[in-house]
Amino acid sequence: MNNSRFAIMTLVRRALVAIGAAAIVAAVLRLRGSGGVPPRAGGWRELSGPELR
Amino acid sequence: MRVAVVGLGALGARAARQLASTPGVTEIVLGEPDVHKRGAVAEVLGPIATNAEWSADDGLPVGVADCDAALLAGPASAHVDQARRLIALRRPFVSTADARTTVQELLDLGEEAARSDVASVVGAAFSPGLSCALVRHGATWFDAVDEVHVAWLGTGGPACAHQHHRNFAGSALEWHDGAWMQRPSGSGRELCWFPDPVGAADCYRGDQCEPLLLQPALDGVRRITARMAGTRRDRMLARLPMLRPPHPEGAVGALRVEIRGRRDGATDTAVLGAMDRPAVAGAAVAALATVWAADGRVNGPGVGGVATQVDALEFLTELARRGIRAAVFEGASQSS
Repeated sequence: MNNSRFAIMTLVRRALVAIGAAAIVAAVLRLRGSGGVPPRAGGWRELSGPELR
Repeated sequence: MRVAVVGLGALGARAARQLASTPGVTEIVLGEPDVHKRGAVAEVLGPIATNAEWSADDGLPVGVADCDAALLAGPASAHVDQARRLIALRRPFVSTADARTTVQELLDLGEEAARSDVASVVGAAFSPGLSCALVRHGATWFDAVDEVHVAWLGTGGPACAHQHHRNFAGSALEWHDGAWMQRPSGSGRELCWFPDPVGAADCYRGDQCEPLLLQPALDGVRRITARMAGTRRDRMLARLPMLRPPHPEGAVGALRVEIRGRRDGATDTAVLGAMDRPAVAGAAVAALATVWAADGRVNGPGVGGVATQVDALEFLTELARRGIRAAVFEGASQSS
């Protein structure tokens, strides 16, 4: 009886730890994201001329 | 030309200074409930400024009825009532409001303004304002515009910083395939590359006005989205009051507008941008729009944003003369 209760408690504790760890990983991924790819060529040029092109 | 400037915060005071150096402006009526602030600005501007008495009943300076146009640069919550009084006086107004609900209410005054033969501009600052002019100008490079995506970084004065804070707490309005959609503010992370030296910043959906102001100006556009740069702290604390008072004026800001469409039988993309201190660039936009409204150069009668109310090419050309310069990105992100 005591052994089965101990096993259930262990299972619950492990499940809670797993859910907590998953939540932390998800939060980190959600906040950090994967980033973007910077432009590899080109740049900004001021618009000029009568048509501002 | 006689113009009134109502509200002398970071943007209003700068706009008054811009107006003071504009040829043709002979008098600037200063409207501000804070007597000390009003006196200080009047002293800096010199004889061109009139330190007008503030009418608390009207929420406008005494003598505004004799002005050719009024710039509303005070708290956005007062703009709708002030605009109604100006329409009743048959005086054009320019509003720097950046709160979406206020901008919507001001746009709703369009019929009333048309009946009074008044042509006015709303959202005439940095974002919205300069952003709308950039989109309208870039759109002329295309045969048809399919998508517009606006991103904004930085804040002007404290009122602008408060609005930026609130923008992350509401829901963002987007135009999708002929219908309005509400999306959660703070979602839709995108890394946007602003003009140098600002560079890259994470941008998220925000409760911004650009979709509302741009949609009437772009026939057949399928998507309009608006994002603004923010930090994790901005997003996480958006629903709380600001934990510390904002700076008197923010640092450098930037705009980036991406236009996707068709030209010469192929799909293409154009990316335009600008970089300046938001209160400085916003003041130049507001001052120029006010001069044009007073001069009868604003499209109308009615009420609309910069994209519908002014000729974008002429407007940007005049802004460039005032030191607010637009840029275009040429490189990998363009398909041509």
